[in-house]
Amino acid sequence: MSAPSRSLVPPAGTVRSFDFPSVQAEALDNGLRIRSVQVGRLPVVTAIVVLDAGEGLLDDGQAGLAVLTGDCLEGGTSERTGVELAEALEAIGAGLSIGTGWDSTTVALSCMADRLDDALSLLAEVLIQPSFPDDEVERLRDQRLAAIRQREMDPGGIATTASRRLTYAEGVPYGRPLSGTVESVGPFSPDAAAGFVVARYRPKGSGLVVVGDVDAGQVRSLVETHFGEWTGGTELPPEIDYAPRTRERGIVVVDRTDAVQSEIRIGHVGQTRSTQHYFPLRIVNTVLGGAFTSRLNLNLREVHGFTYGVRSRFLVRRGAGPWCVSTAVGTDVTADAVHEAVTEITTLVAEGPTEEEVGSARDYLAGVFPLRLETTGQIAARIAELLIYDLPDDYYADYRDRIRSVTLEEAHEAARRCIRPDEMTVVVGGDAKEIQGPLEELGWGPVTVEASP
Amino acid sequence: MLSIPIERFTLDNGLRVNLSHDATTPVVAINLWYGVGSRNELEGKTGFAHLFEHMMFQGSEHVPKGRHFELIERAGGSLNATTWFDRTNYFETVPSHHLELALWLESDRMGWMLPAMTQEKLDNQRDVVMNERRERYDNQPYGDWDEWIQAMVFPESHPYHHTVIGSMADIEAATLEDVADFFQTYYVPNNAVLTVCGDFSRDEALDLVERHFGGIPPGAEIPAIPGEPNLDPIIGGTVRERVEAEVPLPRVLMACRVPTYTDADFYAADVAGSVLGTGRASRLYRSLVRERRVAKDVTSFVFPLTSGAGMLLAWATGFPEGDPAELEAALVAELEGLASVTRQEIERAVALTETALVQQIERVGERADLVSMFDQIFDDPERLNGELERLRAVTPADVSAFVERFLGADNRAVLTYVPETAKTPNPRGP
Repeated sequence: MSAPSRSLVPPAGTVRSFDFPSVQAEALDNGLRIRSVQVGRLPVVTAIVVLDAGEGLLDDGQAGLAVLTGDCLEGGTSERTGVELAEALEAIGAGLSIGTGWDSTTVALSCMADRLDDALSLLAEVLIQPSFPDDEVERLRDQRLAAIRQREMDPGGIATTASRRLTYAEGVPYGRPLSGTVESVGPFSPDAAAGFVVARYRPKGSGLVVVGDVDAGQVRSLVETHFGEWTGGTELPPEIDYAPRTRERGIVVVDRTDAVQSEIRIGHVGQTRSTQHYFPLRIVNTVLGGAFTSRLNLNLREVHGFTYGVRSRFLVRRGAGPWCVSTAVGTDVTADAVHEAVTEITTLVAEGPTEEEVGSARDYLAGVFPLRLETTGQIAARIAELLIYDLPDDYYADYRDRIRSVTLEEAHEAARRCIRPDEMTVVVGGDAKEIQGPLEELGWGPVTVEASP
Repeated sequence: MLSIPIERFTLDNGLRVNLSHDATTPVVAINLWYGVGSRNELEGKTGFAHLFEHMMFQGSEHVPKGRHFELIERAGGSLNATTWFDRTNYFETVPSHHLELALWLESDRMGWMLPAMTQEKLDNQRDVVMNERRERYDNQPYGDWDEWIQAMVFPESHPYHHTVIGSMADIEAATLEDVADFFQTYYVPNNAVLTVCGDFSRDEALDLVERHFGGIPPGAEIPAIPGEPNLDPIIGGTVRERVEAEVPLPRVLMACRVPTYTDADFYAADVAGSVLGTGRASRLYRSLVRERRVAKDVTSFVFPLTSGAGMLLAWATGFPEGDPAELEAALVAELEGLASVTRQEIERAVALTETALVQQIERVGERADLVSMFDQIFDDPERLNGELERLRAVTPADVSAFVERFLGADNRAVLTYVPETAKTPNPRGP
C-alpha cells in the first residue's frame, strides 16, 4: 500500500523570512528605560518592569531578601490593601507575575490591550508605593519558610542544593539556594523590605518593556503619566569572585534511605552571560544535553532506559553561573548511569562534536528561535534580558546568523575551555547503602557520603 | 468573541482535518488527537495508552528509530505528545517550509507503525516509562495523590478509576501483541482529528494532507469504552483517606464529581472553580492564605472530562504544625460558601480566563490543540470561538444551583497527607 515515495524524506519548501520585531527605545527623564514593540495579531499586551534587584547582590546573611521583597509586593500599596489590589488587577484580567532571579527582579502582567492604562497605573503603584503591612509581611515570610521546608524534602531540590553548595567556594552567592535559608529568611521584616525597595527599586537602572497591540507613542505617554514621578538610582553591584569550591573531581552521595531513584547532578563553575563563547557554547550544549537527540539523552534514555530524561545546561548570569547535567535514574543503575554520563562528557571534550552534530545543532537552534517568539510574553521576556545584561537593542537582529556561523573548531574550542571533566563534582541524591559501593567501584573519584538535610 | 478562522474537511478514510491560517510568524503547527486514552484500557493493562504513546516515537516502516526527533529538531522544530484520560495528542511546530516533513512523519506512524516494532524497543521504553513513574509519582512528595483521588471519586468499574501512568506491574507486563492490538483498534484515521495551524498555503496543505494520509485505510468501529462509564452524578457520601507519607507539610485535597464538559452545566462548574481558586482575589487564597493564614498555598481546578462525570479538585497545603482538620473545615466552608457568589466575582473570573485563553491561542501549537479538542469532543471545531461567551453567560444563580447540587457532603472525597512521624514502611496507593 505504501507508494515508493514514502521512503524519502520530503524536501523542504521555500523558506519564509523571519525578523525579530523592531524595538522602540526611549527613556524618561528619571532614567527609566522604555522598550516597546508593536505586535497586533491579537488584542493583548504584556508589560514587564525590570529592576536591578537580584539575589546576586546580597551576601549570605541577607539571602532571600530580594525574593521576599518581591513576594511582599502583593501585600498592598499606600492606596489599597492587598485584597483590594488583587481585586483591581483581576478586574482587568491581570495578575502580578513576580520573578526574582540572581540578576534581577521582574514584575510582569498581561491583559487585553485596551486595559493597558489601568494596568500600568497599578504596576506603578505597586512599585513606587508598596506598603508592606506587618501582618502581610509576616504571612509571606511564613509561606516562604514553609516553601524552604518543601524544597529541603524534595528529592530533586536536595540534589540541586547540594550540587550548588559543592560547586562554589564558601560565601559565593550562587552556592546557596536562591530564596535563602531558614536562618537568613527568619528575621525578614517590613523595614527590610522597605529598605531594599529604597535601595534597588529605582527608575535609573531599571527598564519597562511593553509588547503588544499598542503603538510606541501611546506607550511613551502612558509610562510618562504613571512612572514620571518615580526618582532615584541604584548603586553598582558588588565585585564577586565566583570561585569554585574545588578543582578536584569527586562524587558526593546525599543519603536518602530507601529512595527508589537517584537524582544525579554533574557540573562545575560555568560561564557568564557575556562570555565570548556564548554562541559556540549553545551549540556544544545542544550536542551534549540540550535537545532530545543529544548524546546524553540518546545514551541514557534511548539506548539504556536508565531515565525518563537528562539534560545539560549552562546557567549564564552576570557572574559565572553553574554548568550542570541533571537526571533521575533507577537506584540499581545509578553507577552505570554516572559512568555513561561522565564518559559522554569526557569524550565530547576530548574528541569534539562531529560536523554533522554541529550542523544539526545550528539548524535546531536557528530554527526554534521564531518558535519561541510567538507571544507578547515571550517577546517581552527576550527584550527584558537585553536590559538585564546590557545588550544592544538590535541584539536579536543577527542572532540566527551568529548561531549559523559557529564552526566545528569554535564549538570544540568552547567545549575544551568551558567543560573540564577533571574538575567535575558528581552529586547523587539517593540510597547510600545501595549505591555507594558501585560508585566506588567506578574508580572515577573519591566517594563521600552526607546525610540529607 | 474570538474569530479564529477554521476550515474543516473529512477525508474518505474518516480522518477529520482542520486548517486554521495565521501568517504572523513563519511557523506551522501540526496537531493530532486520537480518541483514545487511559479510559480505554482494559483490566491488567493500566498505563498502556501512555506506554503506547512512547512507542509511537520508536520509528515506523519508513522512519528508523530516532529519526523522528532527529528530523524535527534538525528542521528547527519542537515536538511532543501527551496522554490523558480521554485522548492522546501528538504535535509538532516547525518552520513553515517544513510542513510536509511533519505531515509525512505523522502519517507514517499512523499508517505504517507496526513493521518497525521490536521487543528491544518495547523493553527500552518500558524502562523509560517506569523511570518516568518513579520520577513523577513514587519519588515525589504527594506524587501518588491522583491514584488516591481517582479511586475515591470513581468506582472500580469506571474507566477513570485508574491513572494515566498506570501500575508498575501492568507497565512491566506489556507485550508486543498488546502494541499491535492497540494500534489496529485505536490508531486509525476514523478515530483521529488532524489540525494544521499557522503560516501555510491552503491548497498546498490540503493536497499534502490528502497525499500523505489519504491512503491509510480506515479501521473498524471504535469499541465501546470498557467498564461502566455511566455513573451517578454524585459520589453519594463523603469518602476519606488519610496518608502518612514522607511529605514536608500537611495537605488536604478535596474532590467531587461535576457535570461532563459536554453538559451545559459544565460552565457553571468551571466558573465556580475559578471563583474558588484562580488568582489572589479568589475565595481560597483570600480566606485560607491571606486572612486565616492556615494554608501556605491553595489550588483548584476543574477537569473537563467526557465520560460519565468530570471532577472539581481543590487542595490546601498547611504549615508544619498545622492541623489538617482545620484545613479541611476551612476548605469545606469555602466550597459551600460558593453558593453565594457576586456578579463581580464572576466577571473577574471570566476576565482572567479571557487573558489566559488569548495568551494560549497566541501560540499556533496551543491553538491547533484547542481546535482538535473541540472537534474531537464536540464535533464542532468552531466552538472555540464562542467559548468565552459561554462562560460570560453564567449567572450567580447558575453557580448557586451548581453548588447546591454538587458541592455538598454527599459528593466529596477528602484525602489528607500528614508528614510521617517515624520511618515505617508505608503502603503505597490504594
